[in-house]
Amino acid sequence: MQDAVLAMLAKEPSHGYLLRERLRRALGPLGESMNAGQVYVTLTRLEKAGLVASEHAEGLPDRPDRKVYALTPAGQRRVAAWLSEVSWPKPNLAEFHLKLAAAAAGRLADPVELVDAQRRELMRRLGEAQRAVLAEPDGSTAGLLLEGIALRLQADLRWLEACERVWSKVVDESEDA
Amino acid sequence: MNEFGAVLQARGLAKEHGQGQGLVRAVDEVDLDVPAGQMLAVTGPSGCGKSTLLHLLGGLERPSRGEVRLAGRRIDALSERALARLRRRSVGFVFQAFHLVEELSARENVELPVLLAGRSPRAAKKRAAMLLERVGLADRARHLPWELSGGQRQRVAIARAMANEPAVLLADEPTGNLDTAATLDVLRLFEGLRAAGQTLVIVTHDERVAATADRVVSMRDGAFVDDTRLAGHATGGLGEMFGLEY
Amino acid sequence: MGRILLVLRLVAADVRRHPAQAAMMLMTITAATAALSLGMSLRGTTDTLYRQTRAATAGPDVVALTPGGDKAATSALRSLTRAPEVTAHSGPHRQYYTTVTAHGLTSAAVAQGAGAAPGPVDRPLVTSGTWVRPGGVVVERGFAAALRVRVGDRVTVAGRSLPVTGIAVGAGHPVYPGAQMMGPGGGPSDYSGLVWMSEADTGPLAAAGLPVTSLLYLDLRDPAAAQEFVESRRQFGDEHQTNFFTWQFMAEDDARILRQGQPVLVIGSWLLALLAVGGVATLAAGRAAKQTRRVGLLKAVGATPGLIAAVLLGEYLTLALIADALGLAIARLAAPGLANPTASLLTAAAGPSDDTVAATTCVALAMAVLTTLGPTRRALRTETVSALADTARRPGHRPWLNGLSALLPTPLLLALRLIARRPGRAVLHAWSIAVMMIGATALLMARVQTDFDYGLGSSHLGNVQREQGHNVLLAVTAALAALAAVNIVTITWTTALEARPVMAIARTLGATPGQITAGLSAAQLLPTVPGAVLGVPLGLFLVLSLSPQNTVVPPTWWLFIPVLVAPLATAALTAVPARLAARRSVARTLSVETG
Repeated sequence: MQDAVLAMLAKEPSHGYLLRERLRRALGPLGESMNAGQVYVTLTRLEKAGLVASEHAEGLPDRPDRKVYALTPAGQRRVAAWLSEVSWPKPNLAEFHLKLAAAAAGRLADPVELVDAQRRELMRRLGEAQRAVLAEPDGSTAGLLLEGIALRLQADLRWLEACERVWSKVVDESEDA
Repeated sequence: MNEFGAVLQARGLAKEHGQGQGLVRAVDEVDLDVPAGQMLAVTGPSGCGKSTLLHLLGGLERPSRGEVRLAGRRIDALSERALARLRRRSVGFVFQAFHLVEELSARENVELPVLLAGRSPRAAKKRAAMLLERVGLADRARHLPWELSGGQRQRVAIARAMANEPAVLLADEPTGNLDTAATLDVLRLFEGLRAAGQTLVIVTHDERVAATADRVVSMRDGAFVDDTRLAGHATGGLGEMFGLEY
Repeated sequence: MGRILLVLRLVAADVRRHPAQAAMMLMTITAATAALSLGMSLRGTTDTLYRQTRAATAGPDVVALTPGGDKAATSALRSLTRAPEVTAHSGPHRQYYTTVTAHGLTSAAVAQGAGAAPGPVDRPLVTSGTWVRPGGVVVERGFAAALRVRVGDRVTVAGRSLPVTGIAVGAGHPVYPGAQMMGPGGGPSDYSGLVWMSEADTGPLAAAGLPVTSLLYLDLRDPAAAQEFVESRRQFGDEHQTNFFTWQFMAEDDARILRQGQPVLVIGSWLLALLAVGGVATLAAGRAAKQTRRVGLLKAVGATPGLIAAVLLGEYLTLALIADALGLAIARLAAPGLANPTASLLTAAAGPSDDTVAATTCVALAMAVLTTLGPTRRALRTETVSALADTARRPGHRPWLNGLSALLPTPLLLALRLIARRPGRAVLHAWSIAVMMIGATALLMARVQTDFDYGLGSSHLGNVQREQGHNVLLAVTAALAALAAVNIVTITWTTALEARPVMAIARTLGATPGQITAGLSAAQLLPTVPGAVLGVPLGLFLVLSLSPQNTVVPPTWWLFIPVLVAPLATAALTAVPARLAARRSVARTLSVETG
C-alpha cells in the first residue's frame, strides 16, 4: 500500500483527502471500506522514512488533512524502482495443505470436511466478488481488480476440488486398511 | 405453489440408462426443493448427471423413478402432450448451444413460444419487442442468429425462454460457449430476473456462475454431495475479505 | 492405385452406412431405365421375334393370294412357281372365310386347308398337340389365346364342332388378328383369326359356299429382293387380281399391330425418369449437409478436390450404372411378353440393341450427375473450416412467410416454416405429384375410351392392341405411383431428419408430438395441391395431343378424383415417417446437436 500511495503522488503534490479519493476511485467497490485514517497513517510513515515531504498550507490549522504532500527525491527513486519491479504476491497454499496433512495424520479432523468448509467460504467470497463485478459498468478499471480477485478465487476453488478428490480417496483407503 | 412453498420439487428422482453391467445411474435418488424466487446453481464435473437432472425437472425426459412437482403439480407421469402444454406455460429452457431456429430472426425466435401458446401474432410481436428490449437487443430484432455474437444469441434465447413468463427458468450451461464479457452480460440478465422474483435453476461447471446463485448444489455421480446457501452469509465487506493491507 | 482403392473404400463405406438411400436410388433409376429401354426396344423386338418365327417355321418370302378357289385361280398362282427367282413353294392352299366359336365366344376366322405334312415352305411349328388330321383343327396360337382354347377343347367351325388337335405358330400370316390378308372376293380384309384343317374337312366349307381365297407360299433365291419380285409380277395379274405379301411387309404389319404400347412406354419412361430425377435430387440434397461435413473432413486430412469429387460422384455413378444394368435386364425379360401379347410369334429372348443400351446408360448417368453435381460442387467450394462447422448451408430467412404462418394454427405454422426452410424440397415434391398426376390422368383417359373388339357381337373377345395399351399404361402408372410414393416418403424423412433440431427446439418451447407430426405431414401436403392441380391439365394435354381426333374426354368430376386422392395418399404416406420423427427424444436430439 505504501508504494501505491507514493506512486499516486508522483504526478503532482496533493492534499491527503484528494489522495484518498484517487485511491478509492481506483479500487472501486473494494475501496469503499477504506477510511481516511488509514491513508494518513501511511503518509506519516512515509514522511518519517524521508520519502514524502509535507508542506503546511498558509493560515490553516496544522492537521494532516490540511497538508499538501509531495515526493522527495528518495521517494521518486523508490517509485521508479517499484514500477520496474516484477515481484508478485505468492499464493499461500502451503498452510492450508499442511492443515489437511496434519488433520489427517493426527486424526484431528476429516480433511474432506475441512475442504468442504473452506470451499463454502470461498464460494461465498466469490459470490460477493462476482456480484461486485456484475455491478461494475463495462470497461471500468476498478472492475478489473474485482475480475482478478474472482479469477483467483475460481482457481482456488478448483484447487480445493482437486484436494477433495484426492483426500477423499486417501481417507477411504486408510479406512479400508 | 404447494404447501412447501416450492415451485419445483423432486422426491427420490432417478434416471437410469442401460441395464445389467452397463447400467448408468445418471440421476440417483435425488430430493430437491426450489422455493419461488430462488436462483439455484447445480455444479459438478461433466457427466455427473446435472444436465439429465435439468431435463427431468423440465419434463424433457421421463424419470425412471421418483416424482417431480412443478408448481405443486406432478409432471413425471404426464403424457408427452400434456408435458408440451406444461413447457409452453411453465418452463423456459436455455441451452449451452443456444438452439435458436437458424432461419428465424431474433424477434421471430422470441415470438415462437408465444405463438405456440396460441396467442395472437400481435401479442407475440409486442411481447417479443418488450423482451428484446429487456435483454438489450431491440436493435438486433431483425438479425438472424448467425449474424449475432454468441452472447447476443444467448440473450435472445433467454428472451425466448421468458416469452410465456414461465414459473421456472431452466438453464443448461448457459455460459459454456461464451467468453468472459458475454458471460457477464448473461449473468447480469439472470441477476435482473432474480431481482424480479424469477425462479431459476442453472446447471453449470463454472464456479463464477454458480457463485452468483442464492444456493449451490454440488453433484457427483448422479447424487448431491453438498448444498450451500450463499446469499447473506458473506463475512464482512469486500475490502476486508480481500485483504487490503496498509 | 492406392488412391483408387481409397475412393472405392470410401464409396463402399458410405453405401454400407446408408443402405436404404442407396437402395432407393437404385430402384428409382432402375424403373426409369427399364421403361426407357422397353420403349426403345419394343419395335426391334417385334422384328426380331418375327425373324425368329420365320426361321423356325420356314416362313415364306412371298405369299400370293387370289380370290376364289377354282382352277382358274389356282392355275394363275401355279404359274408363279415357274418364275426363275422362285426356289421352292407350298400350295396353293385355300382359306375359307367363316366363324369360329369356342366357350361362347364367336370370332371371324379363316380356315386354311392343310396337308397332313406341310410343304417345304411355311411349316407351322406345333407348340402343343399335333398337326392337323381329319376331324380336328389346329388353332393359331394368338387366336387360341384370344379364344382361350387348349388342345382337346372343342370349337365350332362353320357350324361344325371339331376337337382342337394342336396349337401352332407360323410366319405365313400376319399375327392375330391380321390373319385374313385379303378379304372375300379380293375385298378389304377384316380382323380375324386363323385355323388349319385337313383338306378333307374343308370340303363341307366349300360345299356351304363360303367365300374362299387361294394362296401360295413362295421362297425366293434372294429373300431381300422380295419386293422387286412382287412389283415385276403385279402387272401380269390383270385377269385375276393376285395380291402379294412380302415377308418384310408382314414384319412391318406385325409391328404396327403391336405398337400401341410403345408411345405409352416411351412417354412413361420419360415421366419415370423425371420422377427419378426428383427422387434422386431429394436424396442428394438431403445428404448434402452431411456430405459437406464429410468433404470438410476429407479436406482437413489433405484430400484433393479431384479425389473428393471422385468419392462423391463415384458413389452415385456406380449406383446409376448398376441401376442401368438392372433396368436393361428387366427390359430384356419383359420385352418379349410386351412385344408379343398375342403369342402369335415364337417368344425368345431378344436383347436390347446397342442404341438402347447407350441411351439408357446416358440417361442413368445424366440423372446421377445432374442431381449430384450441385451439392458436390457446393461441398467442394465450401471452405474447410465452415464445412466442418456445417455452417455452409444456412436456410434462408423468409420474413413474409414466417409472418403469414404466425396467423395459422400450430401445425400449419410449423409446416409453413418447414417449407420456408427448404422451398426446393417443396418444389420437388410438387413436381413428383404433378408427374404422377399426368400418369393418372392418362390412365383415366384410357379408361373412358370406347373399346371396339374383334368378336362378332361378343364384346368379350378382347382387342389385343387396346388391351395391351391398357396394360402397359397400367404398369407405367403403377410404376409412377410406386416411385412417387417412394419420393414422398424420402422427402418427408429427409425433411424430418433435417428439421430434427428445430422440431426439438419447438418441443422444448411446448409444441406437442402431435403438432410436430401434423406439421411434418402438412409440410408435404401443401405442395401436393399445386402439383395435382398442375398435373391433371398437363396429363390431359399430353394425352389429347397424342391421341386421334375422336378421343373421348371423361366427365370433369372424374378429373378431380386424382386431385383428391393425391393429398389423401400423401397424408397416409407421410404419417408414419412424421410420427417416427416426432417421437425421438428431445433431450437426445439437443445433446447430439451440442456435442
